[in-house]
Amino acid sequence: MSPPFVALGIVALVVGGTVAFALASVKRLATDPHEYVVAGRSFGAFFLWLLLAGEIYTAFTFLGAAGWAYSFGAASFYILAYGAIGYVIGYFFLPAIWKVGHARNLLTAADYFRDRYGSRKLGVTIGTLQFFMLIPYVTLQLTGLQILLTIAGYDAYNATAGVALAFLLMAVFVFTAGMRGLAWASIAKDALILLAVLFAGLVIPAHFFGSVPAMFDRIVAHRPQSLVLPTTWTNHSLIWYVSTVLLTGIGFFTGPQNMNAILTSRSGDALRRNAIWMPVYGLILLFVFFAGFAALLVIPGMKPGEADQSFVLVVQRYYPPWVLGFVAAAGVLGALVPSAALLLAGASTFAKNVLADGFGFVKGDREQTTAMRLSVIALAALALLLWLVYKKTLVDLLLFYYNGITQFMPGLVFALVWKRVSKYAVAAGLAAGLLTVVTIFVEHADPTPYGINIGLLALAVNVAVVATVATIWPRRDAAPEIP
Amino acid sequence: MSRGARAARVLLACVSPALLVLGVPFANRIEPRVFGLPFLLAWILFGVLMAPVTLLAIYRLEGRQKA
Repeated sequence: MSPPFVALGIVALVVGGTVAFALASVKRLATDPHEYVVAGRSFGAFFLWLLLAGEIYTAFTFLGAAGWAYSFGAASFYILAYGAIGYVIGYFFLPAIWKVGHARNLLTAADYFRDRYGSRKLGVTIGTLQFFMLIPYVTLQLTGLQILLTIAGYDAYNATAGVALAFLLMAVFVFTAGMRGLAWASIAKDALILLAVLFAGLVIPAHFFGSVPAMFDRIVAHRPQSLVLPTTWTNHSLIWYVSTVLLTGIGFFTGPQNMNAILTSRSGDALRRNAIWMPVYGLILLFVFFAGFAALLVIPGMKPGEADQSFVLVVQRYYPPWVLGFVAAAGVLGALVPSAALLLAGASTFAKNVLADGFGFVKGDREQTTAMRLSVIALAALALLLWLVYKKTLVDLLLFYYNGITQFMPGLVFALVWKRVSKYAVAAGLAAGLLTVVTIFVEHADPTPYGINIGLLALAVNVAVVATVATIWPRRDAAPEIP
Repeated sequence: MSRGARAARVLLACVSPALLVLGVPFANRIEPRVFGLPFLLAWILFGVLMAPVTLLAIYRLEGRQKA
């Protein structure tokens, strides 16, 4: 059997097996939107952990974190740091959001805005914005898939057809199984990723250098600059690290897909216990850095864009095809399962907040669930089409996703703590924040002026505008009380 | 919750973010190596590990207050 046949065969078996296992675990098909999108708010700590971990640690985290360690050295450490800050904030923030969602029977992030600020229009606006922000994020996962399938095929095949096939399989899976199926698929994904990462971070350094400390000895001797942050006012410097860790830590749970996961929880306490232990799971990123640094020594000279492939290439060149097959399969699930969560979040927001609330097209629970299912397929087709046409430039749009999605944070938090904030204040702040992101993005070739993360600048503008409007024109009505 | 417990909760919550954000400019160095890791990476690792420790302490504190 030829090496590409073995490696790609293992990928196909693992993906097919995961989908089959998850479908078998879902007992009946949901017709109620609450069952379809937030699994009837029934998840305890374990499933919740799978979902939250599943959405945060994607293939991009793994390929990207190794690629960053390879290309930018210590700047990559921010990926390890921001999760911990996200969970410290999340410990207080998630149960509070959950309480509102539970008491008011909410489904999506846009529902939360509609309910708390008493404005259907705000809900529709937020839903539309979030839907469009999700598309480049889904597209990015497709680029990750392509890298993995190309390497697993030993560059012998054009991976485009494979990417399209795998992705459409996932769309049909979400169409059928919804949130509950997603949680089951996450079990296989997390187990396999854990194995692949431990292999890459421990076995590869031991094989080439004897041990992880010995590997760092080599880096200290040859490339010491890659182990500290440069103290200049440039991209990937110390100031960049500080501003980026702050922004990404604050924005950790602001994505619409995170809201779905939060609302699946049975209780606030399950969320609290998750926030305590999740940083420990995040430590597996450490092994990803080891793999990236090992690749830097084993196959030096790759450009920043290509470096995302670095450690999988090491596996391809120096290990048997079946090892490559399992590592690639872990990565492929790491791209597919989070894409499934993104599809579900985007589709539920589109059907509920845009079609139903915005245009009054969809009435009744059964019809709404059907609309969500059809939106899953539509969103998947749209993302795939965008990817086929634009591939490269869309990666730049990711910057807009990360910086943009964080701008929803003030609206989420102020609804909990400051009664003077009205829908106008939130809308003005959001508009100012997004405008700041877009202006700097369009006006400057450098996405990080003076090395400072623009998302953080935009967030500061956003909060300042909300606070000013709330102080001058306080809200007159009040949101429904939460018991 | 008593004032003391409230203050302790806020202080505990600040430990990990302070290490990971404010502490990093002071930890931005290779030596001394910790278990073979460069100092900066070891520092960030320590900061991340302090998150579950402090959150668990807060969780216990809240539990005792409720009881």
